[in-house]
Amino acid sequence: MTVKYQSQKIAQYFYTFAVILFLVQVVVGIIAAIQFIRPDIFILNFNTIRTLHINALVVWLLAGLMGATYYVVPEESETEVWSLPLAKLQFWATVGAITLVVLGYIWMGLDPQANSTVMGTQLLNEGREYIEAPRWADALIVVSVLLFLFNMFMTMWKTKKWTGIQGVLLFGLLFLALMYLPGMFYSKNMIKDQFWWWWVIHLWVEGSWEVIAGALLAFMLMKTIGAKREVLEKWMYIEVGLVLFTGILGTGHHYYFIGTPKYWHWIGGFFSSLEPVPLLLMVWDAFRTTREARNVTNKPGLFYTVAHAIFNFVGAGLWGIIHTLPQVNQWTHGTQITTAHGHLAFYGAYVLLVISMIYVTLPAIRGVKDYNPARAYLAFWWMTISMVFIVLTITGAGMVQVYMERLMGLDYVAVKTTYNLWFWILRAIFGVGFLIGVSIFVYDFFMLGKEPAPALRTEEQKA
Amino acid sequence: MSNKAARNLFIFGSLFFFVIFLGLTVDTMNQIDGRAPEITKEIDAGKMAWQKYDCIGCHTILGNGSYFAPDMTKVVERKPAGYLKQFLMDPRGVKPKAAMPKLGLTSQEANDLVAFLTWISKIDTNGWPPKPILAAAAGVAGKPQSRGQQIYQEQGCSACHNINGIGGTSGPELTRVGANGKDVEWHVKHLKDPRSVVPDSAMPPYAGMSDDDLKSLAAYLVTLK
Repeated sequence: MTVKYQSQKIAQYFYTFAVILFLVQVVVGIIAAIQFIRPDIFILNFNTIRTLHINALVVWLLAGLMGATYYVVPEESETEVWSLPLAKLQFWATVGAITLVVLGYIWMGLDPQANSTVMGTQLLNEGREYIEAPRWADALIVVSVLLFLFNMFMTMWKTKKWTGIQGVLLFGLLFLALMYLPGMFYSKNMIKDQFWWWWVIHLWVEGSWEVIAGALLAFMLMKTIGAKREVLEKWMYIEVGLVLFTGILGTGHHYYFIGTPKYWHWIGGFFSSLEPVPLLLMVWDAFRTTREARNVTNKPGLFYTVAHAIFNFVGAGLWGIIHTLPQVNQWTHGTQITTAHGHLAFYGAYVLLVISMIYVTLPAIRGVKDYNPARAYLAFWWMTISMVFIVLTITGAGMVQVYMERLMGLDYVAVKTTYNLWFWILRAIFGVGFLIGVSIFVYDFFMLGKEPAPALRTEEQKA
Repeated sequence: MSNKAARNLFIFGSLFFFVIFLGLTVDTMNQIDGRAPEITKEIDAGKMAWQKYDCIGCHTILGNGSYFAPDMTKVVERKPAGYLKQFLMDPRGVKPKAAMPKLGLTSQEANDLVAFLTWISKIDTNGWPPKPILAAAAGVAGKPQSRGQQIYQEQGCSACHNINGIGGTSGPELTRVGANGKDVEWHVKHLKDPRSVVPDSAMPPYAGMSDDDLKSLAAYLVTLK
C-alpha cells in the first residue's frame, strides 16, 4: 500500500499531534478520577485538570478529523492538496495556538487571579465548559479552520470531482466551523449563555461531527473491503440526513430546565428519542457491507471501523436515550448519569472513529504492504473493556446519586464522599487499564511500518 | 431511491428542520427575559466572577457543568447569604473538611457572586430540580413529632445540618450533639446569636424566633445522643 498523492502524507502530522494529546487527555483523566477521592492530591485543582481533560479531547479529535480530511480529499478529488505549504503552516499555527491556550490554563490553575478581565473578557480561561479557550484563542482557531477549509475547497475545485463522500465531509466541516461562532460572544443572561452554548456543544457532537462520521464510515468501508461507492453513498445520505432531522431539533433535550419555555419538553423529547435511529442504521450498514466482503485489504482498519459503528450506537444512542425524556431527565439531569453517557459516547463515536481512520490510512502513508496487527487488537481490548467498566461504575454512581440525592433528598457531598466511594476507586483502577490500552496504541502508531513485516506472512510469500 | 433523490432528501430535509429550529430560537429569545428577574450591574459582575474562577469546572449550574461539586441553581435557598459569602472567601475556615480550595475572592466578588446565584435561583426552570419524594417522610416513622422536631423542620435546619444521615454537610453534624455537654440554656444563646458563644461561626442568628420555640428546639437538640 502506498499513497496515490504525496501531499496526503500531511495527514500524519495531524495524527501525531492527535495521539500525543490523546495520551495527555487520559493521564489527566486519571488525575481527575483520583481527585474524586482526594481533591488535594495534585498541584492543580480539579477544575483545571478537568478543563485540560475535555479540551485535549476536543482538540485531538478535531486534529484527527483534519488529518483524515487531508487524506480523503486528494484521494477523492484525484489530485494533490492545493497548497502543501499552507497545510503545514496551518498545522504549526494550530499547534502553537493550542500550546499557548494550555499554558494559559495551567497559569490560571496556579494563580486564579491571573485570569484577569481584558476588554470585557477573561484573559486565560473563559470559564465555559468545553469552550474555555479565551476570545483571542477563538479568533486564532477560526483563522486556522478557515485556512483548512479554504485549502480543502481549492483542492476539490482543481478537478471538480464532486463525490458524495467529500461533499458530505466538507459540509460537515463547514457546519462544524459555523457552529463554533455562537459560543464566541458574552451574554449577561445565563439562560441565553447556556442556550447558545448548547448550539456549539450539541450541534457539534450530535450534528456536524456525526455527519463527518457518516462520510468517513463510507470512505473506510470502501477502502478496507472495496465496497461499491454507489450503494455506500446512498446509505450515507440517508444516515447523515436522519442524523440532522433528529439531531437539530433534538437540541431541545438540553432546553428542559435551564429557563427556556416548556414546549422544548415535547420537541426535545420526541426528536432526541429518535436520535439513535441513524446510529443503528450505521451499524446495519457496516455489517451488511462487511458480510458481502470478499477481499479485506486492511483487517485492523475494518475491525476498528465496525467497532466504531457499534459503540457509536451503544454510547451515543443507548446511553443517551435512557435519560433523554423530560420525565426521566428531571431526576437524572446534572448527575453522574450524564458523565457516563459522555464517556461512552465520545469513545464510541469519535475516539474509535479517529483510530479507525488512522489504521485505514497510516499503512499507505508509511508505504508498508503489511504489518503486524497484534498490537492494534491488544490496544482495542484494553481500551474497550476498561472503558465499558469505567462507564458501568459511573452509571452505578449516577443511579445511587439519583436515588439518594434526588429522590431521598440527601446532601450532595454526603452521597459523593460516602455512598459512592467504591465507584470512584474502581473507576480510577479501570482508568489505569484504559491508559495501558492507549499506551499500546500510541506505541503501535509510532512503530507501524518501522519493523520488519510479520514472520508468518514472509514465509507464506517465500513459499 | 436513487442517489440523487437521497442527496436531495438530505439537503432539503436538513434545511427544513434547521429553519424550524431557527424559528423556535427566535421565539425562545423573546420569552427568556420574562422568565427571570432583571439583570443588575451586580448580577452581571457576579457572572463575570463565576467565569473568572471557572466555577463550572467543578460545580454544575442549571444542571450543566462538571458534576464534581454541588449544583448551584438553588443554593441560595438552602444556605444563608452570610454563610455563602464567608464560605466563598475561605471555604475551609467555615467548613474544615470542604473540598473547595481558597481561590482568593475579594469581598466585592463574593457579594457579586451571591447576587448572581440569587438571580439564578429565581429563574423559571419548569420546576427543576424536583422536590425529593422521600425526604418529607424520612425520620418520622409513625411516631408523633415533638415540638422541637417540628421547629427543626420548619426552620429548614437540615439544609445545613445532618441528623442520622439526613440533611446537609455545611454545618456540623447534629446526630450526637446532645452528648457534647451543652445544656438547653447554651443552645438557646447559640441559636439567638451564634457568634456570642462560637466566635467565628458562619451560622446566621435566629433571634426572631419566640423564646418558647427556641427552648423547644434546644430541648430537642439535647436529646440527640
